[in-house]
Amino acid sequence: MALQIINAGGSDSQEIAERMHKAIAGAIPDAQIEVRPTSTGHFEIRVSSNAFSGKTRVAQHQLVYAAITDLMTGNDAPVHAVDRLDCLVPE
Amino acid sequence: MAPQETDREHIQELVTRNPVLLFMKGNRDAPQCGFSATVIRILDTLIPDYATEDVLQDASLRDAIKTFSSWPTIPQLYVNGEFIGGCDIVQELFANGELHKTLGVEATPDAAPEINVTEAATQALKKILEEQAPDGHTVHLQIDARYGHHLHLAPPAAGEIEIAGPGISLFLDALSASRADGIRIDVVQTPEGTGFHIENPKAPRVSPVTSDELKTWLDGDAAFELLDVRTPEERAVSHIEGSILLTSEEAPRVEALPLDTRLVFYCKMGGRSQSAAEHFAQMGFTDVHNLVGGIDAWLETSGS
Repeated sequence: MALQIINAGGSDSQEIAERMHKAIAGAIPDAQIEVRPTSTGHFEIRVSSNAFSGKTRVAQHQLVYAAITDLMTGNDAPVHAVDRLDCLVPE
Repeated sequence: MAPQETDREHIQELVTRNPVLLFMKGNRDAPQCGFSATVIRILDTLIPDYATEDVLQDASLRDAIKTFSSWPTIPQLYVNGEFIGGCDIVQELFANGELHKTLGVEATPDAAPEINVTEAATQALKKILEEQAPDGHTVHLQIDARYGHHLHLAPPAAGEIEIAGPGISLFLDALSASRADGIRIDVVQTPEGTGFHIENPKAPRVSPVTSDELKTWLDGDAAFELLDVRTPEERAVSHIEGSILLTSEEAPRVEALPLDTRLVFYCKMGGRSQSAAEHFAQMGFTDVHNLVGGIDAWLETSGS
């Protein structure tokens, strides 16, 4: 049997991932963005942008989190957790 | 949605007023999540005093702090108004020594501390090592910033100092070593069982005072400060005659008193007042006392 996760993210998760993608793109225009649902409400994000250049890791993460705060705030927030956030500066 | 302007102002005021402030779940004595507990352990190792805000007590703060910091998780550490990070980052900064600098902590013991382990304690430690420790484990002594002492068994870690005594070696990290000079480790028998007793001449002293003793002090002629560290609401229910509520307006007056002024602290049961008393002892006050059992014990004594 394959290592398949049944609840790895259905259409809802895909829709939320797209909203996150849009929000990050709005805040960091030159960004290359990947948002991947891992389970319901949980996501992994990978963002590459020159905006991260010269910033500390905290400041880089803050840039991304600031963009998606609205999706993560409140008791019925669509995004429960970001399991992993990678911020890269393009070569 | 943007946080209410009042929330933002409230948070700004909090991080400005408190040099070191941790937004967390629960409080210092009872963290309500593992991530908060980890950061508390690290801060306890480094500094005696810092402030905490419990986001579980305030749903609007819990949301507002996430927007304020652009950080989606709790805990969040602020130092001098600046956001430092959450649990992962605090751990990282602690491991590489950056957090020590941020908090102004110097871990440079000039020489190996002198540690006196009594014969009985040496034998007891050896026995524990032989019977309970896997191969390669040694005895470690950790002293936190409030001079809480902890003994545990583990393999030697990088950066630790080994204090070799007759019969037993102790391993201390640099910060603990800087707090260890003159320590005496003994074994004592108490009604609760046999255990190690550690005397540390560097530890700021808070002496317990019982309700009966306090009564004789109040009846006596010597002046002293009796400080109530509870909330105004608790005080409205009952208070000890002659005490003063230690408000943020009152604290500077007490801090400016001569350091040999006798200070007696009380709260409901003695926990909060112990922290307050330790705070003043660490400031250099030499005659600091905590009412054992708090006003609950006092009322019981005076009622009977």
